[in-house]
Formats: sequence, structure tokens, C-alpha cells
Amino acid sequence: MQTIPLASTLFRNVLPTCAFFALLLGSSPASAALGGDVSSIGAGQTHLLASARIQRAATHVMHELQAPTGTKVREYLGNDGKVFAVSWQGPFRPDLRQLLGTYYDTYIQAAKGRVARGPVNIELPGLVIHMSGHQRAFYGRAYLVDRVPQGLSTDEIR
Amino acid sequence: MACTCAALVGVACSSSSSSSSSGLSPNVIALPADNVAEVSVDYGLPNIGYIDGLFAKITVCVPGSTSDCQTIDHVLVDTGSSGLRLFGSVLTLSLPELTDANGVALAECTPLMSGSLWGPLRSADFSIANEQASDLIIQVIDESTYPMPTGCTGTDISDPNDLAANGILGVGWSLQDCGPSCAARVGPSNSGMYFTCSSATADGCQAASVRVAQQVSNPVAFFSQDNNGVIIELPAIPAEGAPSVTGSLVFGIGTRENNGLGSATVIRLDDSGDFLTKYPTNGSASFAFIDSGSNATFFPDSGTTHIPTCFSAKHPEVSAFYCPSSTLNLSARVQDTYGMVAFNVDFSVANAMNLFTSQYDVAFDNLAGPDSPPPSGTGDTFAYFDWGLPFHFGKNVFTAIEGQATPGGSGPFAAF
Repeated sequence: MQTIPLASTLFRNVLPTCAFFALLLGSSPASAALGGDVSSIGAGQTHLLASARIQRAATHVMHELQAPTGTKVREYLGNDGKVFAVSWQGPFRPDLRQLLGTYYDTYIQAAKGRVARGPVNIELPGLVIHMSGHQRAFYGRAYLVDRVPQGLSTDEIR
Repeated sequence: MACTCAALVGVACSSSSSSSSSGLSPNVIALPADNVAEVSVDYGLPNIGYIDGLFAKITVCVPGSTSDCQTIDHVLVDTGSSGLRLFGSVLTLSLPELTDANGVALAECTPLMSGSLWGPLRSADFSIANEQASDLIIQVIDESTYPMPTGCTGTDISDPNDLAANGILGVGWSLQDCGPSCAARVGPSNSGMYFTCSSATADGCQAASVRVAQQVSNPVAFFSQDNNGVIIELPAIPAEGAPSVTGSLVFGIGTRENNGLGSATVIRLDDSGDFLTKYPTNGSASFAFIDSGSNATFFPDSGTTHIPTCFSAKHPEVSAFYCPSSTLNLSARVQDTYGMVAFNVDFSVANAMNLFTSQYDVAFDNLAGPDSPPPSGTGDTFAYFDWGLPFHFGKNVFTAIEGQATPGGSGPFAAF
């Protein structure tokens, strides 16, 4: 009889494999928007809590933060210190204005006029945004195509 | 009671029992009754042409009144969510506002598709067919009473034309739209959907903890009977589509002669309302859900069966759908997350642009689209399998509400 996988083994809890894994306690790097760096945080924006986890790899650093709404947010920084991708997963969609930064307006323009009522797939030259889910379970990811480091598959952005 | 007539479009039998999901025998559709409302897939609001949207007509009254009422048509029937939401611009009634213990108004930011629905909570007496829910907590979609908080983001959905419907009738598996997490203290354990609004100024609304009894609620759960779930019953349609389809929204599972499970297979849902689906049948599993409010079958195609998406320079939005060169007859494997059931389900994926060339057809059982950009390599794609409205044609699809008893066990479950 075929083994039916338990929910815990499926992607909800799977983490990208990285060359080196570190858990830093007590550090609190600021959150940043897509395309920005740690200094791009706006005045008074303390929406995202301190990094719960930081994962380092040869090509990038991934900060996992928790939004005030319990949604898990991941920010992927390249070796230039800039965020080339973000992803989120949780019972509420995070603040897209804060997460997408200067790309938020592009998102709004691209998302208007959709006739599909279901997932959101935006593929523009240079920017991919994918959102899916339903009430109580939302997830999504956005990445700058030209800034994804060589050697990193976009499948690992999640 | 056996039914001897075939369930053609517009023809139904005097009583109904569910049929198998194989499609070999036509599903029997209940006639309008105390617990049965007529629903339709049609053109939608004037000049909109909604594709694969299922609509119902509902009545709301000022609580306690039988005359101060309004009937609203083209409310989207949505088993993927819970709660009744109506646009403030459509509502003519003055409904009482919900306030917290300190008398401060309650409002909600509800993520939906690419945007959010924002507006205050109200209470109403709700009725459909001959079922009633008194003092039902609903959301009025309205950005003028209280300004949207900055954290409520996305495309603007403040007008019926933005949604192509006058509201949403969420009759899914959950009792409230948020549940216990929104009753938790504001912080990482609280989903953050609810707000208290002390003033109509820019920062007048703050994230709030709202007890479950004050959250936007599943109308069906608050009927005095037939309150353990719903059945969506739509007839089969031709492969090229149909301009309009009439079916039934049945209230209750196993509470009357017309709403038994029959031979439907029960698929228990997990805490998020999901089960699993593998496509192809031996591929990796995605989380899956049945959602009458999704207007296509949205699923990830694996690297081995790369289905092209549509392209149109004039209408870039068609890239949300698949365009194989000819209709694909596919199979996926549906399983629950508990290891109790597993079986294959057949479905079709037509070339969406070919479907859309018909100017009049809006109902399609073979409209599909991606739930993720095609993967660049191997490995699990981060995607859901969304069995949307196309899945429902020719089947009776059950949604059982969490914690409610049915002859098939307690909800939450889906069955077909």
C-alpha cells in the first residue's frame, strides 16, 4: 500500500536546504522592503519583529521574521546586502506596501483588471509575484528576476 | 427515494440524493424547497461578464424587523470562505453597528485575491430560501465610514464592479472567518484581521482582539435547522460551455430527505480546511481545497506536463489561464491528510482562449490555470490545487461545518 505522506512532511514545514545554518539569538536586524537594504526601513515602521532565524548560504542570507499578525515573512538578501526576494506564509496577508516597497505600485497596476478569481501570478520582466491560498492560509512570494543570485533556484524562494 | 428522470440543465427531480463523483450517473438536483435556494452561473452584474461565478439572491433585514428588508441579487456563493459581506454602496438598510465592550466600533480587513475588503461589522437578520439567521454578524464593505488602516493593502475592492458581484456569501467549513486566533491578544498569535475604530481619522482604527461571538459568521451555522453544512448541486454542461446554468444551494447535510450524503466520499479537512491532491496522480502532493468562489481549476503543472499559459498582447490577464493546443483529459489523486481516503478524480483542461471566443458562454467545466509559475527545476512547487467552480458541474459537492454533526461524521469535511 502506498505510503500517504503526513502533512508535516509536506512543504508547509520544509525549509530550503542551505550550506550553512545558524540561529542567532538576541540580534535584531531591521526589516527591509524588496529591493531595499536594511537602511530602507521607513520612519516608525516597526511592523516586523526581530528575526526569529537567520540562514546563511554562499549566495545569500535569509532572514525569517514574524509579522505582528503571526504571518511568517522571509527576506532574502544578496551579497550586496539588498533584498532580492520576499516570501510569506500565514493566516493573514502581510502589509504588501511595506514588503514590496517601491515595487508596490507596479504590483497594483499589474494586478488590476484580473479576471481570474484565484491565485495571483504576476510575471513582468524583472519582477515575479505569486500569491495564493484562501481564508486562514495565505502565502506568496515576490522576487527580482535579475537579482536572484547565480546558483540559486527560484524554487527555493518560499 | 430513487429518481427516474435525468438531470438536464433546468430539469430536476422531485427529490434528490447525491450521486457518485465518477460522472457516470447524472447528479440529482433538489428543487427549490425550504432548505433549497436556486443559484445560477450567469453573466453577473450588467456589462461585467463574470466567468464561472455562482450567484445567489439573499435577503437582509434590520434585526427584528420584517418590513425593513432588502433583497440583493448576484451575491457570490463561496465555499472557500465564511461570512456574508455586502458592499455598502448596494445596501440601503441602516444596520446596527457592532461595538466592543467599550462601545468602540468593530471593523475588519479581509484579504481577498489581490486586495482586501475593508469595512465595519454590522448585524442583520439574514434569510435565504426559508432559512433564517437572526442577528447575524456581517461585514459591510465600505471605505468611507472608517479609513482603511495602512496595513490593509492590495488592489482596491470597494465597489461591486471591482468584484463583479454585489457581495460574497461565504458558506465554507468554518464557523467564523477568523476564529480563536482573532480572539487572542493582539500580537503574533492574532491573525490581525479585526480592528476597533474609535474615530474616522487616518489612524482611527487599531488592531484588536475580538471574541469569536463577535466575529463575522457563517450564516448557515446560525440557522435554527439545516445548519451543519451546504451542498452545491450544478448540472453537467457541454464541453464548449454554457451561457447560463441553474442549480441548487441546499442547506443541511442529512437533515432532510433531499440532502443526504448518498454515495459521496467524505474527505476530512485539516485545521486550515485543506486536503491533498497529487497531479499527476503519482507526482508530489499539493495542499488542496474545494472552492466554489474560484472561477477555474488552479493547479501547478509539474515539470513533466508543462501546460502552456495563454498569451494575448491585448488582454494580458488571460495569462492566468492554461491554453493547451487541444483539450487535455487529466487525472489527479485526491487524498485527505489523515491517510484515510485516496482516489483519482478526472478533470479536463481546455484552451481558455478558445472558450472565451464564445461571446455568450460564461460557464465552463474545463477552465483551468496555473497556481504557480512553472517551476524552474525539480522539487516541490509552492502551490495549492484549487478545485474551483468548474469541478462542481455534474456533481453534488458537500461542505460540512466544523464541529457540526452529520451522518457522515462531524465537520469539517468536503464530500462529493
